[in-house]
Amino acid sequence: MARRPMRNSSNHERDRHGNSGDSDRSTMSRRKYLHTGAAVGTAAAIGGCLGGSGEGGGGLTVGYALPFTGTYAMLGESIVNGFEMYLEQNGGEIDGREVETVQRDTEADTNRGVDVTRELLIEEQADVIVGPVSSAVAIAIMDTIESEASAIWLNANAGDYRVTQEGCLDYHFRTSFNDWQTSAPLAEWVYENVADNVCLAYADYAFGQNSKNFFGEAFEEAGGEIVAEVGAPLGTDDYSTYLGQIESSGADAVFSFFAGSDAVGYVSAFADYGLNEEMTQTGSGFLLSEDTLPAQGEAALGMYSLLHYTPAQESERNQTFVENYRGAYDSTANVYACQGYDSAQAFAAAVEETGSAEPDELSGALSGMEIDSPRGSFRFNEQTHEAIQNMYVREVVESDGEQPVENQVVETIESVEGPTWDCDLS
Amino acid sequence: MIESIVRATLLGVQSGMILALIAAGLTLIFGMLDVINFAHGALYMLGAYFGSVIAVELGSFWLALLLAPLLVGVVGIAIEVFSLRPLYGRNPLYHILLTFGFAIMIQGAVVQIWGGQARQIAQPALLTGTLSLGVVDYPVYRLFVLAISTALIGGVWLAIDRSNLGIIMRASAHDTEMVDALGIDVSKVFTGVFVLGAVLAGLAGVLLGASRSVNPGMGMGIIIEAFVIVVIGGLGSFRGAVFSALLIGLVTSYGALIAPTLTDLALFGLMAIVLMVKPNGLFGATEAA
Amino acid sequence: MMPVFELLRDDDKARTGNQILSRPGRILLVVGILGLAAAGPIAGSIQPFWVNLLVRMLAFALLALSLDFVFGYAGLLSFGHAAMYGAGGYTAALLVGQVTPNALVVLPASVLVGVVVAALIGWLSVRARGIYFAMLTLAFAQLLYVVVFTDLPATVAGVETVTGGDNGLYGIGSYELAGIGFGDPLAYYFLTLALVALSLAGLIRLANSPFGRVVQGIRENEERIEFIGYDVQRYKVIAFAISGGFAGLAGGLYVPFQSVANPGLLHWTVSGELVVMVLLGGMGTLWGPMVGAGLVVFLEDRLGGVASWEVILGTLFVLVVIFAPRGIAGALISLRDDPSGAVDNVKQALKNYVREVRD
Repeated sequence: MARRPMRNSSNHERDRHGNSGDSDRSTMSRRKYLHTGAAVGTAAAIGGCLGGSGEGGGGLTVGYALPFTGTYAMLGESIVNGFEMYLEQNGGEIDGREVETVQRDTEADTNRGVDVTRELLIEEQADVIVGPVSSAVAIAIMDTIESEASAIWLNANAGDYRVTQEGCLDYHFRTSFNDWQTSAPLAEWVYENVADNVCLAYADYAFGQNSKNFFGEAFEEAGGEIVAEVGAPLGTDDYSTYLGQIESSGADAVFSFFAGSDAVGYVSAFADYGLNEEMTQTGSGFLLSEDTLPAQGEAALGMYSLLHYTPAQESERNQTFVENYRGAYDSTANVYACQGYDSAQAFAAAVEETGSAEPDELSGALSGMEIDSPRGSFRFNEQTHEAIQNMYVREVVESDGEQPVENQVVETIESVEGPTWDCDLS
Repeated sequence: MIESIVRATLLGVQSGMILALIAAGLTLIFGMLDVINFAHGALYMLGAYFGSVIAVELGSFWLALLLAPLLVGVVGIAIEVFSLRPLYGRNPLYHILLTFGFAIMIQGAVVQIWGGQARQIAQPALLTGTLSLGVVDYPVYRLFVLAISTALIGGVWLAIDRSNLGIIMRASAHDTEMVDALGIDVSKVFTGVFVLGAVLAGLAGVLLGASRSVNPGMGMGIIIEAFVIVVIGGLGSFRGAVFSALLIGLVTSYGALIAPTLTDLALFGLMAIVLMVKPNGLFGATEAA
Repeated sequence: MMPVFELLRDDDKARTGNQILSRPGRILLVVGILGLAAAGPIAGSIQPFWVNLLVRMLAFALLALSLDFVFGYAGLLSFGHAAMYGAGGYTAALLVGQVTPNALVVLPASVLVGVVVAALIGWLSVRARGIYFAMLTLAFAQLLYVVVFTDLPATVAGVETVTGGDNGLYGIGSYELAGIGFGDPLAYYFLTLALVALSLAGLIRLANSPFGRVVQGIRENEERIEFIGYDVQRYKVIAFAISGGFAGLAGGLYVPFQSVANPGLLHWTVSGELVVMVLLGGMGTLWGPMVGAGLVVFLEDRLGGVASWEVILGTLFVLVVIFAPRGIAGALISLRDDPSGAVDNVKQALKNYVREVRD
């Protein structure tokens, strides 16, 4: 019960209530992918019991520990969409085994996150936990994942580096990103292409501080100068005062970390005050991602950000993914859908390789595994289980698609690895 | 430095006036109906969401500004007639609890209908860009918000102070039976006051929805701030609500300059100190009676 | 069912007098607790996760009980009980994490911190009455929330972290007591059940004591009690502090079980939902709010992922306030008083409602 309040912003949340987009969601919350024809008989013969599988036959159970209500509902749904698209493409089975998916709402709240993770592991006997979205939830469930030790954990969005630094769990694999990857690699690019001095602006909570610090260190290392730092509380209503400080810092560019509704409020106020004529806005990818761009609109034009996936990426692999996604869900794919899809790919590949759903075996298989992702192929680091992947510098440009603006890749930073934070699982 | 102070002052006054729109409704409803309306933040949020839908569908900010508050007024009528009315005369505690229920319900419904992501209302082309005020450049839209909210507050003030309506409203608050005896339908007055509060909150929602983000957390976020304002000003006091809204607006914007993370602390600390010194709020003793 | 209702009838008689539970009512309570003790292992053998759910239901039942003692019984609407709950929780998190997992040390500390925080808030707030009191408790609770969220203690003390800021404290181990570990949910369930039962027994005793009668008298008619010569403010502060102790205990039980403490524990929406639980259960009965809290936690857990939980909770709550202001306990009592009249009662309530809306 003790949830966090729903604030205007990112990490928080007392977040709930599903997006209306997917009308059959409630019926989907327990969906079985049935085989067709004779296969149904086979499955029934092999396993009467689903879940709790382990060796050999029986079904596989996927547990989504994601927010389906509140500020992050759209993220949770996109991850599920991505995962399930992979399942549909493969006839609803992995390695010849029927897959059942169970979804539970974390409400992006730490205590609910712990509750639903335990429920998925104990009551639903999940073989894999997919999620969560919020880093606070990820950190909170580390203990449960470790003590239950019954499933692999595919972290499909929570990017706090401390999951690796402090958790360093054998069962944890990041199918998404970490906060170092979405901030530090941008520093050198900014220094070389934009400005040699920046102002740092960030949402004043763990994730925002991490991103700001990582970028700042890397920027100074590249030779640049940090002129000022401006922290705004999470869920700030009006950014006027902070923008005043950013402006009076006199910097040529600003690097920001804001996400969700904070990003919307910040970017539109930035444009309101005409700051986009005085300085260049850069930021971590979540400042300008698919969940905020529709609301930010033209205010976001010309801003740069760094992320590991962009729907407009021109590779053939991605084009197919985007088309399939549109066919299945009638909407544009986004980074979250890609993370969900890759989680499914990783899980399937590991099960197929080992013929098992035992977390220890899956972990062994996933370590060092290469995933052919729409974002460009990536590999799980043997030491940290982080994704070693390309990062893309994107610019917001006008679009003739359904939204007025979109991100376009302007530079690819290849095979970004990042620190290990003294975690060595190899 | 001067720039920052001027800017913070402008912001403080502007958000103070908007907060006054919300707090004024809250305090009027309490003054007349004896109801602490926890759902007031939810009504403000509904204004912003209705506004964002109308602005997209009809393509006009001005229509949104006109229609969305009226729709919120309709919701207000429904709440007053179907749920508050049967409870008048009971312990006012029940009103807190009832409206808290509505606040939760509306927040849930908003996410259910519009999803969790933030939205925004597009500013009208007429009001984009900045205006040079000598020391600082200030967005035209924000100046518009400042002007219109000040005008609205002034209008409500005059209406309450001067017109018959104001006299009837004040009389109903003091002695319902008297007013009843004069042949005035008190329950209509009550509905009217509640709807007025709802419309003001809705207006605030549309006005802010074009300069901040529209999101499902905005209602619960602002209601506590509004309570702090109303309690500091003295429950039921219109003057008190406007005064302390400006005070809180300025404290918040100056706080953001000095120590952003401690602004909330200042807010609640201020309220606690005021209440300990004057248990009925700054203007409570004289006006709320 | 009849005997059960008979027992409840006695309970009701007690309510109109000064006693909160009569002898038969207490017997029913003991039976209930024994039933719960049996329910744990049975539920666990069917589905281990249900034990987890039961523990959380008990922790919130205790929290609701603590609020009902000041709100329903002493008439002080606290909109800041999350402060004591969170304070107790963080105390447990810090002690278990850094000092000792011994339940005999940590839980009393949680209670003590709850008492101290409540005494402070109560002392600063009791001069205000009614809604102003509620708002003051809310303000102080939010102050504490901000302090924890921004990790002010660390800034003041100049250390890296105390409360862990917005992420809170995590990886908190379970209790130990005389060599027994409570890492197993079932063991934890028994620990929780025992403490909740003791708390309930203690509060019932207190409610029936001379102190309890004075507190109840303050709710009924504050001026009169003051006129008789009691120091009303002092009694209020003491009642609030006692309640805070139990809220602290609830936090101390909840946090190590969850293995995390985060600022959300202290947020005002927790206090708000707690008031909802108390009212839903039936304020002033002590046992009703416990049922209400258990029910809300249960429903949220079971319905949370499926439907729009907030809309359900909000609607349920609005209906209860309008049609059944005495909550579940009130409905049970009137059903027992007049089982055959249940249908008539519902009709009457609807008629009244329609009449008042039209009026």
